[in-house]
Amino acid sequence: MQFRLLLYIALTLTTACGLPRDTEGTLDRVRGGTLRVGFVVDTPWVTATGVGAGGVEGAIAAELARGLGARIAWIHASETPLLQKLHDGELDLVIAGLTKDSPWAARASLTRPYYVDTTTVHGERTEVPHVVAVPPGENAWQVYVERVLESRKRELAAMRYAVAR
Amino acid sequence: MSVGRAYAFPPEKWEARKKLRKLSWLSIGSLLLAAVVIGLTVGQSQAMKTAWLSDILTAVPPLALLISLRYELREPSERFPEGYARAISVAFLVTACVLTMIGLYLLYDSAMKLVHREHPPIGTIVLFGHQLWLGWVMIAALTFSAAIGFTLGKLKTPVAKQLHSKALQAEADMNRAEWLSEGAAIVGIVLVAFGLWWGDAAAAAFISIEIVRDGWKNIRQVIGDMMDESPTKLGERKLEPLPYRLRAEVRQLPWVKDAAVRLREHGHTVTGEVFVVPRRDGLSAEQLLQETERTAERLQRADWRLHGLMVVPVRALEETSPPRVAQREESRDAAD
Repeated sequence: MQFRLLLYIALTLTTACGLPRDTEGTLDRVRGGTLRVGFVVDTPWVTATGVGAGGVEGAIAAELARGLGARIAWIHASETPLLQKLHDGELDLVIAGLTKDSPWAARASLTRPYYVDTTTVHGERTEVPHVVAVPPGENAWQVYVERVLESRKRELAAMRYAVAR
Repeated sequence: MSVGRAYAFPPEKWEARKKLRKLSWLSIGSLLLAAVVIGLTVGQSQAMKTAWLSDILTAVPPLALLISLRYELREPSERFPEGYARAISVAFLVTACVLTMIGLYLLYDSAMKLVHREHPPIGTIVLFGHQLWLGWVMIAALTFSAAIGFTLGKLKTPVAKQLHSKALQAEADMNRAEWLSEGAAIVGIVLVAFGLWWGDAAAAAFISIEIVRDGWKNIRQVIGDMMDESPTKLGERKLEPLPYRLRAEVRQLPWVKDAAVRLREHGHTVTGEVFVVPRRDGLSAEQLLQETERTAERLQRADWRLHGLMVVPVRALEETSPPRVAQREESRDAAD
């Protein structure tokens, strides 16, 4: 009973006072502005569409921008420079088919998994949780991204196979 | 050949000793539970990582205490003719070193986070169908752990006083430092919630300083034990007036001309030598033996911790071996 109460206090704090806040104000800047997304092609998670990225994670980026009324600036490069830029606050999101056990976890902030894939490695079934990366310390932005991921979980799972075909 | 007897606690202290054992188990259990709760929410917060480690670390001294409790009352053996009372010092030495080293490592780690301006990312968690910021959950976990530390500290202090147990007193101090530093971690996370990234690492640095301080305090105590420091007051560095009390008491005896007392702590007991210069009015060997025995018994009643006190008749105080301590003629402490 008391636990529930605490939960509601936490929820109220979150919504009423706008806590947690970003260190560098990413969420406020993206809202109605530009979402800078770095991508690495990794089908079916990230595909190239000519203008930018498609695939499951491309859809995530589009959904995030739509929810905030932002336009997307796509940057195509390889993983290392993209994650470095993310760490330095020059990007707001990196989509690269990243998984939860990525060694980048120390430099970038990996989100909660939006989808857990099952693959067979050396004849053993392994669970691979897929994530996207946001700048570390941009906690309001990360909370927003993770909320969107959580609410779109089902559609994203369905897309994983639709894109593959 | 067997020398000496093992120490026996007075009956009322036995009860306290049982309580001490129970408290130690309770500490280990509850601190590990707190560590699990914090471990589940640790995420990428430096303060949480530090709080988690300090929870596990504070469970080590009660464990060491339990182990030494098993040993300290053993009969003296051929290999250890002085008995096992100092097992507690060994336990102390180990925990003190571990504590200091881990504290220093954590301090370095959090200082580096500050220097490199690493921003702590804290995401969300889904609890009972609600998705909320992990930071709030961390604060709840820290509050839980702090409540445990607070309660343990409050429970330990009176038992430590009763048993005059420095080990337990040190634990109680450690529990206090623990809940204070968890309070600091909560402040750190609240700062992060307000977008101040340094709050987390700063709180972690503060906690690690507390850990190092605990370690240092314990090391100082162990060094005192190893150097055969004169008995000190519980939780303080001040010397106890006990040697002066004993000296005053011996000097009043009719067969004693002069006396000097040298005491040291021996685990939970206090032991040492009383050098006595007898009045030379033709004491026979038998009389001298009787007087020394009686005096030893009488002195041992002065404090319940006294055990294995030696009364040594000497021709002159200058001839004691090793050399006697320069003792002030009358101490202000001796008056009380």
